[in-house]
Amino acid sequence: MNLSFSNASSQIYKIDKECDKDHILIYQLSQQDNWNLCFAQLALTCEIINSNLYKGKMAKKLTLALFSGSVDKLTAAGVILGGAAAEDMDVEIYVLLQAAFAFKKENAMVNDRVSEITDKKEDFLASLNRLNTPHWTEAFRTAKEMTDVKIHICGFAGKVWHGEKLEDFIDLADDICGIGEYMTSAEEADISLFI
Amino acid sequence: MSTENLESITVNKLVDARGTSCPGPLLAAKKAIGTIEKGEVMEVLSADEATRRDIPKWCTKKGFEYLGTIEEGGYYKILLRK
Repeated sequence: MNLSFSNASSQIYKIDKECDKDHILIYQLSQQDNWNLCFAQLALTCEIINSNLYKGKMAKKLTLALFSGSVDKLTAAGVILGGAAAEDMDVEIYVLLQAAFAFKKENAMVNDRVSEITDKKEDFLASLNRLNTPHWTEAFRTAKEMTDVKIHICGFAGKVWHGEKLEDFIDLADDICGIGEYMTSAEEADISLFI
Repeated sequence: MSTENLESITVNKLVDARGTSCPGPLLAAKKAIGTIEKGEVMEVLSADEATRRDIPKWCTKKGFEYLGTIEEGGYYKILLRK
């Protein structure tokens, strides 16, 4: 962080909170000697800027529109969530249509459908096992434990699969919501994915 | 840093993630980093080829110092300083 000092202001001091985040500009009148006050204000300003930097640069946001209900794609989603968790990203997952089937309590652990290279399904599932790959629900759970992950079930998708209440879904789900919330969240995201 | 120099570094925390595949070792590193102090060294053991590229990138993003990687038979020792 660079500090710039200037004598050109009409105020005793002024710290520009709106200036470029990497620069703090301090003005001081040459005839005044009020640097203690100035630095106290500077400390406060640094705290604000650090907080903004944390929000703006550290906690990036990922939104995931999760449509697939097959374990191959859900496992891929789990890997991506792991990467997001390692980087402390905020994550919002919107569980749409077929994914809502996979999130139903009675389906989550027994569903072993795959959506691609289906003729090699047994080999694929055996390899996941051989490589100690956690079940997708465990990968999601780990990510939730490590970073801020919110999982929203699309209300429409829930109804399609006869699940109208949050209790109809595994406990990873945080709430049931509409597409408007997804749009708002996606607009704010640094990365948006559809799986 | 040479392998000899890397070998001579005192390790404060050893994380054995050889039983997991990507992103397991990275997540193990992420979990363990909270248990050491700034300035301390962590060694991550990984049999996953991708992890040796992931951890240096992760260090850069998180502000940790990647020290280097030692290749052993069938796995890597990846060293970083918090």
